[in-house]
Amino acid sequence: MEVQGLGKAFGPHRALEDVSLSVAAGEVVGIIGPSGSGKSTLLRCINHLEQPTSGRVLIDGVPIADPGGREPSAKELAALRRKVGMVFQSFNLFPHLTAVENVMLAQVKALGRPKQEARARALELLERVGIADKADSRPRRCSGGQQQRIAIARALALDPRVMLFDEPTSALDPELGLEVLGVMRELASDGMTMIVVTHEMHFAEEVADRIVFMADGRIVEEGPPRQVMRAPRHERTRRFLRAVLDR
Amino acid sequence: MSSVVDYLGPLSAGIGNTLLITFGAFGIGAAIGIPIALARSARWRPLRMLGVAYVELLRGIPPIAWLFIAFYGLAQLGIRVESMPAAVGGLGAISGAYMAEIYRAGLRAVPHGQFEAGRAVGLTESGLYRHVIVPQAIVTVFPPAMTYVIGLLKDSAIASVIGAQEITALALGEQQQSFAGLPIFLAAGIIYMAIGLPLGGISRWVDVRLTRRLADA
Ligand SMILES: Nc1ncnc2c1ncn2[C@@H]1O[C@H](COP(=O)(O)OP(=O)(O)OP(=O)(O)O)[C@@H](O)[C@H]1O
Ligand SMILES: [Mg+2]
Repeated sequence: MEVQGLGKAFGPHRALEDVSLSVAAGEVVGIIGPSGSGKSTLLRCINHLEQPTSGRVLIDGVPIADPGGREPSAKELAALRRKVGMVFQSFNLFPHLTAVENVMLAQVKALGRPKQEARARALELLERVGIADKADSRPRRCSGGQQQRIAIARALALDPRVMLFDEPTSALDPELGLEVLGVMRELASDGMTMIVVTHEMHFAEEVADRIVFMADGRIVEEGPPRQVMRAPRHERTRRFLRAVLDR
Repeated sequence: MSSVVDYLGPLSAGIGNTLLITFGAFGIGAAIGIPIALARSARWRPLRMLGVAYVELLRGIPPIAWLFIAFYGLAQLGIRVESMPAAVGGLGAISGAYMAEIYRAGLRAVPHGQFEAGRAVGLTESGLYRHVIVPQAIVTVFPPAMTYVIGLLKDSAIASVIGAQEITALALGEQQQSFAGLPIFLAAGIIYMAIGLPLGGISRWVDVRLTRRLADA
């Protein structure tokens, strides 16, 4: 997956400026940076929940859309989003559906899989994230950690090429967060391509193949976790890491 | 002097038309409320203004005036409309304005994250609304919509001014023959309540089930 010169402005405010990033298949990229630096905006632009103002995103070498040119059609957008799984900070499970229905919905309605097959796949995924016993419960009956794992299963159900995680554990108690990090660690070792925005520095250092540090809508520096986090080149990165690690 | 009970029979002849006006108007309102609600929140300003104008105009003028306009106004333009269609259509148009606002409130009550999650899993806009948004919005929409139906049941009485033969029109007719006002209108009141109370009961029952469906397993 490749992000080329992505820019996003909200009115006069530039949330992203000329962000380029290429992610190899099976690679895990951790994105860190201060609040308001554009991390979420970057993820949301990648799957076009937010329409980028400039630049483009390619998946398997195929551009999703040419901003500046025409906007992608609703069909193209839907097709793109099936290739990109997204996990939100606040889970955003469908509250009127049970866990297994949450994982089935898009398989049936977006991919057109037969119900039986979708159900089998959903149960298999719930098993994989360790909550097969909650299959028939609605989200409200599940803990935050369970909800986030259902959300991961929901995203995986479309067999995406890349998974985007936006602070998947920051709404969770530390212990529940660990369950979720455990699932993500496994995904990573199974070879899933992942972009993870996180404040969990230890997790980022351990699981990511590469760390990207963002500030003020730009990528300030990137590199192997050890280097970025232990020996950052830029003063801005040092300042951020000091602030985080001093806590 | 005849008693209340004696009038129940004759006035009951109007129940059919009262129900026809109530549910006919509500059906029209529930249907046209959707495009009006969409227009109200459209990105294109002229369309949005049109939606706003419709809602404000229809809600700003008393229903009784609208019925006169629908009935006599159209007649003056050479368009003859019978009193029942005029009543159903006129109250239906008004219902559209109210239902549009109820729908909008329902949509606003669905968290933004639901729209994002639905889009993120690759649903098309129509799929998003059908499978994710509407099933949640309906919980918010249902109670005020039912309150509106019950209000409409009572408002259907004003259709009598344009000659629709519903309960109140029959009551007025009886009153002119016998000059016995109180028992006649008490009988009419009893009939309205006999329709309205079960309606309220059903709506509460459905509401509880809808809410429960969304709340837990
Ligand atoms: N829909 C929007 N409208 C206007 N401004 C926005 C919008 N979304 C984000 N922004 C702005 O864009 C900037 C980047 O926001 P973003 O949410 O991407 O930051 P972030 O790095 O994810 O921060 P955090 O760590 O707090 O989640 C912020 O200044 C934010 O106020
Ligand atoms: Mg964010």
